[in-house]
Amino acid sequence: MSLAEAEAIKGFNVQPLLQGDVQVSNDPQLVMTTILGSCVAACMWDEVAGVGGMNHFLLPGTETGSNGGMSHGVHAMELLVNGLIQAGARRERLRVKLLGGAKMFNSRIDIGTKNAEFATWFVKNEGFELVDCCLGGQRGRNLRFWPVGGRIQRRFMKDTRLIEEESAQRIASKKPAAETSIGDVQLF
Amino acid sequence: MSLKDKLHILVVDDMSTSRGLITQALDEIGIVNYRTENDGANAWRSLGAKPVHLILSDYNMPGMDGLQLLEGIRSNKATARTGFILITGRADPETINKGVQLGMNNFIKKPFQTAQLKACIEKVVGPL
Repeated sequence: MSLAEAEAIKGFNVQPLLQGDVQVSNDPQLVMTTILGSCVAACMWDEVAGVGGMNHFLLPGTETGSNGGMSHGVHAMELLVNGLIQAGARRERLRVKLLGGAKMFNSRIDIGTKNAEFATWFVKNEGFELVDCCLGGQRGRNLRFWPVGGRIQRRFMKDTRLIEEESAQRIASKKPAAETSIGDVQLF
Repeated sequence: MSLKDKLHILVVDDMSTSRGLITQALDEIGIVNYRTENDGANAWRSLGAKPVHLILSDYNMPGMDGLQLLEGIRSNKATARTGFILITGRADPETINKGVQLGMNNFIKKPFQTAQLKACIEKVVGPL
């Protein structure tokens, strides 16, 4: 961890989330962290109640049921919403940020896109306010979420294969790289 | 006329997506007579207007939750014998025990497959 990273969470308690986890908190000193590839994380909070939470889910890509495994995503979203309401949030005040859903592998089934499309559809279908989203692409994401207030830090992970491809193209075209955001921290 | 055609079900869930998944499963089972409500209070009013044979209710709902709805149903003479299946995201023993004490007929944990819901309903009403 770099000094900048250490400084960014200095004074905060860190709660890491793994795939399948759901966490809700009203602790202003808590920051939730996770690493996303094809998975999607929904970060939801109620600013008035001072409570927020995050889930981290992946739709099963091989399920053959009529809903295509959607029930697993619905379950993850429902656990988050229920947890927030039990902690004092009001459904109509909940705001959402969605992140993740990258295409991490060169395969025919793009699970990341499927996850991102599901998450976006769910939020709209339930009528929640989608404040921002950072979905898709080909790189994983490091994510930090402050549940009280809804602040997020997102950093793209370096993808060696992509960097090598970009470098090869730059050498071939002798042009400067168009994208310089690899490893950047964005606040929103 | 088969039991599937006779059975009237009320689905209660505050999330429209979940209501959609449950009714989709009922369609796949072949149950045609069902209606939906989005919370316990609306379900209670709906039952007063038109009774059903079986209720499939979510546990966590704003206002009147699934177990409060069950308590109301069991304490009312007109609805006391209505079948009740609790649908819950977290099947913790405390919730299940409370449901059993209040007279719940069965429960099912989300997420579930259509076949699991069918088996759960059949334990209450018999073979479909």
